[in-house]
Amino acid sequence: MTAVASTSGADDGGSADATDLDQRLAALIGQPVGGRGVSTGPDAVNVPMIRHWAAAFEDANPAYVDPEIAAGSRWGGIVAPPLMLQTWTMPTPTITGMAERGGVPTVTEGTSGLAVLDEAGYTATLATNSEFEITRYLRPGDEVTASTVFEAISQEKTTRMGRGRFVTWVTTYTDAHGDVVGRQRFTILKFDPSSAAS
Amino acid sequence: MTSGHSSPTSPDPTSIAVGQAIPSLVVEMTATRIVAGAIASRDFMPVHHDKAFAEMQGAPDIFPNILSDTAYCSRFLTDWAGPDAMVSRLNIRLGVPVFPGHTLTFTGSVTAVTQEGHEVVVDIGFVAKGDIGDHVTGTATVRLPGDITAT
Repeated sequence: MTAVASTSGADDGGSADATDLDQRLAALIGQPVGGRGVSTGPDAVNVPMIRHWAAAFEDANPAYVDPEIAAGSRWGGIVAPPLMLQTWTMPTPTITGMAERGGVPTVTEGTSGLAVLDEAGYTATLATNSEFEITRYLRPGDEVTASTVFEAISQEKTTRMGRGRFVTWVTTYTDAHGDVVGRQRFTILKFDPSSAAS
Repeated sequence: MTSGHSSPTSPDPTSIAVGQAIPSLVVEMTATRIVAGAIASRDFMPVHHDKAFAEMQGAPDIFPNILSDTAYCSRFLTDWAGPDAMVSRLNIRLGVPVFPGHTLTFTGSVTAVTQEGHEVVVDIGFVAKGDIGDHVTGTATVRLPGDITAT
């Protein structure tokens, strides 16, 4: 299931439609991914969620779970696991109706820019890369806001999954003062499953 | 179960050398572990907790969400680097999936050690292998307070 891109043979004939699609995709760069594109975590960074996370992954790093050792560490107190960054701004799900929404946990407003790719036949999705850059460790009480925009959409590539385009969005996480605490780049392959080589 | 345990202290940064292996982390993947990780990271996508839904999507079983993958990556790094380590970068490429019953094994080594201000910057390359191949390959940077240039 690993997507291996190859640039050879990526050509859909260069029709007027493709040019129009390229323009519509170019217009998405810098635009919010989905709805408003900005979301503030429903809860501030807090110890109960940190302990729940640490238990789930059996991560006993004392900087997360041991107030005494954390106090004596470089942090001077409990810090949140850095890779919880996205967790703080994950939307609260609406359980009722999830099956009817095709498994989408939340009731979404508006349409995502990804709809342009769905309409162009790239209906399937495969996550390929995740990059986190952490500039500051969060502490209990920190309020986190995430702002997500499209950063890049590739030309059509021929991959093992079929013809598709790589889509990268970047999320900038800020604290209550508006200072950046981290960034996350996420790349997916949107592909046409009917075009996969057998 | 998982192997390995969190170090109560960070290693002496002057002892860290390029090529040094990071202690491996072995995670026996179970449905419980996958569900616990998905919910703790607040990812309610049903493919991470509902086997029937996962099967409908063409998967043989539920599978971990990506935030669980990155959580185990950071645990692999800080089990070794300890409480004073700051994970400042984690870049991963996603490979083949893992499912309940599979074993996920993280291995890696130090690829660079440099001084930046009052921090020792340690670059690490790693892979997490599952039963059917590489699940995650990645690079990361952890920063430790210290000075490797002092004599």
